[in-house]
Amino acid sequence: MDRRSFLVVAGLLGVAACGSNTGRGEGGGALKHWYHAYGEDGVQDAVRRYAAAYPGAKVEVQWNPGDYDSKIVTALQNSAVPDVFEAQVKADWVRQKQVVPLDDLLGDTRDDFVRALLDSQTVDGKLYGIPQAIDTQVLYYRPSLLAKAGVAPPRTVDELVDAAKRLTTGSLHGLFAGNDGGVGVFTGPLLWSAGLDFLTKDGKAPGFDDPRAATVFGKLRDLNQGLLLGAPTDWSDPGAFVDGRVAMQWTGLWNLPKITAAHGTDVGVLPFPRLDDSGAESVPVGAYSAMVNARSTNIDAAKAYLKWLWVEKTDYQTEFATAFGAHLPARQSLAARAQSLHSGPGKDAVGFVTGGGRIASPARWPARANTALSDAVSRVARQGADPVGELRSAVDIARTEIARLDR
Amino acid sequence: MTRGATRTFWLFVGPFAAGLLLFTYLPIGWSAYLSLFDARNTVTPTDFTGFDNYRDILTDRAFLDSIGTFTLFAVFIIPTTVVLALVLALLVNQIRFARAFFQSVFFLPFACSYVVASLVWKMSLFSGVDSGVVNTVLGWFGGSPRAWIGTVDPPLYWVVLVTARLWLQLGFYMILLIAALRRIPRYHYEAAAIDGATPWQSFRHVTLPGLRGALIAVLTLNLINAYQAFDEFYNILGDSRGYPPFARPPLVYLYYTSLGSGGQDLGRGSAGAVILALVIALATLLSGRVFRRAR
Amino acid sequence: MRSTLRWIALIIAAVVFLVPFFVLVRDGVATGWSTVEEVFTDSDLSFARSLLNSTIVAVLQTVGQIVLCSLAGYGLARIPYRHAPVVLYAIVATLMVPTAVTFVPSFVVVSSLGWLSDFRGLVVPGLFSALNVFLFRQYFLDFPVALEEAGRLDGLSAWGTYWRIVIPNSTGFLAAIAVIDFIGSWNQFLWPLLIAQDSSTWTVQVALSNLLTAQNPQPTLLFAAAAVSLLPIVLLFIIAQRYLVRGVTDMDNSAPLTGPGGPHPIPGGGPGASLPAGGRGEGVV
Repeated sequence: MDRRSFLVVAGLLGVAACGSNTGRGEGGGALKHWYHAYGEDGVQDAVRRYAAAYPGAKVEVQWNPGDYDSKIVTALQNSAVPDVFEAQVKADWVRQKQVVPLDDLLGDTRDDFVRALLDSQTVDGKLYGIPQAIDTQVLYYRPSLLAKAGVAPPRTVDELVDAAKRLTTGSLHGLFAGNDGGVGVFTGPLLWSAGLDFLTKDGKAPGFDDPRAATVFGKLRDLNQGLLLGAPTDWSDPGAFVDGRVAMQWTGLWNLPKITAAHGTDVGVLPFPRLDDSGAESVPVGAYSAMVNARSTNIDAAKAYLKWLWVEKTDYQTEFATAFGAHLPARQSLAARAQSLHSGPGKDAVGFVTGGGRIASPARWPARANTALSDAVSRVARQGADPVGELRSAVDIARTEIARLDR
Repeated sequence: MTRGATRTFWLFVGPFAAGLLLFTYLPIGWSAYLSLFDARNTVTPTDFTGFDNYRDILTDRAFLDSIGTFTLFAVFIIPTTVVLALVLALLVNQIRFARAFFQSVFFLPFACSYVVASLVWKMSLFSGVDSGVVNTVLGWFGGSPRAWIGTVDPPLYWVVLVTARLWLQLGFYMILLIAALRRIPRYHYEAAAIDGATPWQSFRHVTLPGLRGALIAVLTLNLINAYQAFDEFYNILGDSRGYPPFARPPLVYLYYTSLGSGGQDLGRGSAGAVILALVIALATLLSGRVFRRAR
Repeated sequence: MRSTLRWIALIIAAVVFLVPFFVLVRDGVATGWSTVEEVFTDSDLSFARSLLNSTIVAVLQTVGQIVLCSLAGYGLARIPYRHAPVVLYAIVATLMVPTAVTFVPSFVVVSSLGWLSDFRGLVVPGLFSALNVFLFRQYFLDFPVALEEAGRLDGLSAWGTYWRIVIPNSTGFLAAIAVIDFIGSWNQFLWPLLIAQDSSTWTVQVALSNLLTAQNPQPTLLFAAAAVSLLPIVLLFIIAQRYLVRGVTDMDNSAPLTGPGGPHPIPGGGPGASLPAGGRGEGVV
């Protein structure tokens, strides 16, 4: 009986203690490193390979499918596990001393990291997360389908609404932006399209206390009619676009390899359009960065490992960013190695990031404010609630929550 | 009463009582304490805020909505459960042949977890694609496929949530009712037959009164279970980015507010828990009154 | 005519009830042995480990609950103690406290004990089921006194009587409670979701839920995994259905709700009241 079959049988009997060890106790010094579940094939194997190659300590990687954002904050509650994890820095975690500063790890590589990324992981002048790669999202479209319907690639929000409607015929839908009708992925881009943002420039107040916010979220309601809902996979997976269920999909740039494999040259990319002349085209910039849990029993070892992986091992960093899906490296010196981004849609997307990249999850944007805003947007878009009233209560909550950070 | 008896009593009851103290009474007290602090991202807060958390949560639309969601869910689930469980119990109780088989079939989902049921409901039965089981059946009758879970207006997701829970719990309540049916003395039916009662009359005047206690149990257990609903809501409506703003029952709201991605606010969460405890205490008192009067 | 209608209704209902099981088998197991193999080798799932964890938790919790709750139930039913009514009241009162109220503070207590991602955190808080104590007390009140007297005459203490006479004569009832506890423990979800952070402590339900709410769920793998997770419980159900039915029926007969005094204390959701085991949101079981 080979090992796999044995595992199956043993597992059925409920007696196999295979896989990882029990964590605590055994090995004592094993570092626990958490990632959320990347959708691209090969990432998990790669990060496990990196961890295994670390000479300084035993590192165990945990892959976390599901609601990772909830999971990580629950784990940070008084738990020594994980030691190292990826997330986007939140000012609240810093206030409660749940994460540790990492400035001393960068050394003279600091200037090599994309400045805006480092800034987004910095709270009160201290850096708490080392950026791993730049994630962005774009609007993919099929030029052939648009041409057939006589629709031009949309450059304003109204054109997008119109295009989605006109492209919806029979079983083909105009646009897929997630099973929640775009609430999750479009909240930021809609704000930016109207020249607004989550926070004001100084980060001290909500940046959407403006009647134009109500207008632009109202557009999401209009958009609803051209949207695909109830797809088997969500926005982050290119399935709906690859299978030809939709003419346009908003999804991660990282899916570019799968999408070009399916549709060849019949692929175009666009940034999120602008509402009008006072807004701007944009793409969200997300940066999962590596952090150290302040309750880890071995902070020094965790920091040493983190420095090795995300500062020193540039070959791993390049592979991580470019080999499995299309990400932009977080460091300027590595950008030249990202071949897939030097031509075609990949090159266009790099242009969107440099021209209109916006931080998708600022450290000073509190979790509760985010819930309030996305609840409001969801009610407007999906249930047809009054945008003005919904936004007013979201602004009130956001104002209190942001002010709280400086108390 | 000797000291020996006292010692023996605590020998038996002590271990349990100690655990209950530590894992039920202490948490309730701690909760009341936390509810008076700004306890974000911490279980040992220092920032005393008095009743701010209570004021906050009672004006929080999401919290009030969660009570509304529970009410709506209860309104759907309780009558359907009572009626269908009764129908199943009567059907099974009236047959001789293959009775054990049918009873087992209806009771079997009791063994299934809410997570597994959510999985089947979400990925297969009510999947939004054309090949979803319900959409296929709709197709036979000329209906067009629907996005059951994604459609908010009208709220089709309720169909998914209610049917999942019905499937899981009907068998359990059916067993309760069958046991109660068997406790009704045969001669009551015989007497009714002698009086020339129609089947409906004997159901109305013998069966129903005989089942009153069991029906009250089904009703109350159902209500309490609906109050604690979490598993199927979380697994059917939640995804890797969290939870939509609708159909959030109290437990789901508290989970996201105090432990999930919604802010790690243990103070507010605790205040919410205290308020829910008061609500259920009040409901218990009231229902006690109502049932006593009904007797 | 009536009888035909009845049979049609029964058969339709039975088919509807079996469809979900059919789907699990059709979309999961029936796609081939390789799918089942993948379930055990896929590192996202950590499935063999989580099956083992669920087994450990369910066994420890069942045994622990039976021992602790039957002891307490017996003490309350049989040992004369001046303050016993107060203790009973303090226990039954917790039946009215639903999970919604206790899960946040229980998490706080367990995390303060340093029991996150730890089997102690998964098992221990779920051991103290007030409903079980109540059911055991009711059962022991009806236990034939003559048997116990015989034990006393043989010189046994209360402790000795309990272990030598009472327990061996109560196996049917113990089995009924044990089956219900085991199923409840295996199927619980909310509590392990909070406590089992590290994948080495994931239970089967947590592992399944992680994949179900993932960005890209893999249906075939999920169905196969769910079918495998259900298998032990369905087997238990088939073997022990007799006890299960008895347990549910006893619950109704003796639950305070339907007792002679009318609906005073409500069985607040059984283990749900004492939280973890009832985290499945299925109160009474």
